[in-house]
Amino acid sequence: MAEVTGEQIVADLEKIFKETVGDWEYSGEITPETCLFADLGLESIDIVALGGAIEEYYRRNFPFAQWLIRLRDKQVDDIRVKDVAQFLQDHLNSASIGEGS
Amino acid sequence: MTRRVVLIGLDGGTFSTLDPLMDQGVMPFLKGFLASGVRGELLSVIPPLTPPGWASLVTGRTPGNHGVMDFFRFESPESRYIRPVNSRDVRCETIWSIISRQRLKATVLNFPLMAPPGPISGNVVPGWAPWKFLRRLCFPRDLYDKIKTVPGFNVQELAMDFKLEVRAIEGGSKEEYEDWIHFHIRREKQWFEILRYLMQEDPCDLTAVLFDGVDKLQHLLWRFIDPDYVSTHPSAWEQRIRDLCLDYFRQLDGLIAEIVAAAGPEAWVFLASDHGFGPSTEVFYINAWLHRQGYLEWATDAPEDTSEAGRLGLGMIMRSPSIVDWSRTTAYGLTPSSNGVHIAVAGRRGQEGIDPKQYERIRSILVDQLCQLSDPATGGRVLTQVWTREEAFSGTQMDTAPDLTLCIRDGGFLSILKSNVILKPRPEVVGVHRPEGVFMAKGPGIRQGLSLPALSITDVAPTLLYTLGLPVPRDLEGRVAEQIFEPPWLHEHPIRAGEPTHVPEVFPPWTDHTEDKEGEAQVLERLKKLGYLE
Repeated sequence: MAEVTGEQIVADLEKIFKETVGDWEYSGEITPETCLFADLGLESIDIVALGGAIEEYYRRNFPFAQWLIRLRDKQVDDIRVKDVAQFLQDHLNSASIGEGS
Repeated sequence: MTRRVVLIGLDGGTFSTLDPLMDQGVMPFLKGFLASGVRGELLSVIPPLTPPGWASLVTGRTPGNHGVMDFFRFESPESRYIRPVNSRDVRCETIWSIISRQRLKATVLNFPLMAPPGPISGNVVPGWAPWKFLRRLCFPRDLYDKIKTVPGFNVQELAMDFKLEVRAIEGGSKEEYEDWIHFHIRREKQWFEILRYLMQEDPCDLTAVLFDGVDKLQHLLWRFIDPDYVSTHPSAWEQRIRDLCLDYFRQLDGLIAEIVAAAGPEAWVFLASDHGFGPSTEVFYINAWLHRQGYLEWATDAPEDTSEAGRLGLGMIMRSPSIVDWSRTTAYGLTPSSNGVHIAVAGRRGQEGIDPKQYERIRSILVDQLCQLSDPATGGRVLTQVWTREEAFSGTQMDTAPDLTLCIRDGGFLSILKSNVILKPRPEVVGVHRPEGVFMAKGPGIRQGLSLPALSITDVAPTLLYTLGLPVPRDLEGRVAEQIFEPPWLHEHPIRAGEPTHVPEVFPPWTDHTEDKEGEAQVLERLKKLGYLE
């Protein structure tokens, strides 16, 4: 199975966001630099829902809780779309390698 | 469409609240409903909690089999991190799916564990979903644009606000009480309006709606609802809050009346709750007790609860793995809601812990200690039950359960927070869950004016399937509540056993290559030194 690129994942995330962002009074573009908290106004519970939406999209589980707690421990105060994409890319490609081997 | 069945969920509905309200004339419709139908207590599961309760009600299976035991679960069998449960965690088929396979349709509104929604024949607006994602979480996808047209639609009030949920249980400021009650009246009306719209636009064989303000008001405002705690000489403010609580139930009664009227005289209407309710007068700090007994060591920055009211730690559940020092902890409470105690077993979650060979012995010691745990002030036992996972969660999903589950003497939840006391009296009584929920039913063939012995919450799903004229899958743990039907009806409509349910799809887990390899190596080295690993 071919590796998933960061650009593909960002495009997937844009698609997921665009289905809902119209209800949020957010009129900006979704880009890799878009911040989930500061720009989109998401809260912790929204990140949980976003994780569920992403898992439905890729039809596999991801360790979102572990990732979020580690970001908090590192005192990361916001998450950009490209951070989510990198996290997903790591796990999707890791899973692809595992499945193919 | 041959039969029309309506299920009205009352989250936390309990006869100890509803009976006085019916007697006082606050809920006249419900009183009349019961005069022409049946009633009985509906015994919930262990623990009597919203997610396992509703999951059992809609699957006819116990938590040990459907796998939902709390609001949260470990992210994977190897992880110590937790996340909220969702529809993917219900490992048994729901009635919505079963009837869809039988070419019937369902509308399901505000039930937990419906997001992300699986494809069913009908409509789903899930409960426990944040408003920013509600559009994505409705099924079918175009449903959100339809319900947006319903008069009074306000998605931010319709959907779940987790911060409000926490405040309901941890206690908010008294200045918020009036707004809190008004908010829930508006919210129930919204769900009703959506229900009425869908009953008109897309009538279904099974229509289900859940009103969860019953739970929220009872948690926060028990002392204004339970006649045993209502002040005999209330202040003007206390009387106003009491009157508003009664107004909530009065308006809920009106909504139930309108739903029953809309369903029509030939419909079957069931009312049920996931658990009951009762008063709680103290907070029990399980992790503080485990610390005193030498099972748990706090992390250096673990927050301490110094509040007068006592806190459970609901607002920081997701971070709860961070409050203990894992290198020196062998047993811990992870969430207040589960009332569970987990034993750290070396190798189970990649962390230090007890030798797996010592598990049974250490668990047995811990059970004995918990059973002996007494109130230093009175000497009375603090816990009325301590269940092992085999006792509470026997089934295919037992391995995901806490090692022990506790029942506190006042039915309350555990606090997971650090504290310099083990028990703290609450300055004001609050409402907490009880196993005894409610079951009410009325319709063709259903007996009238009858009060029944308690039913099991797992009996509801097979009873709904039978009422819809469908065979009852052989693998359901509950049984059709035959006693609610007139014998001639049962004779003319025999119960049919059907094929087993279908097992829901499970997503594959991740391959975790992002673990802290250095930390993991240190752990493995320590385990080797302890003799746990070769």
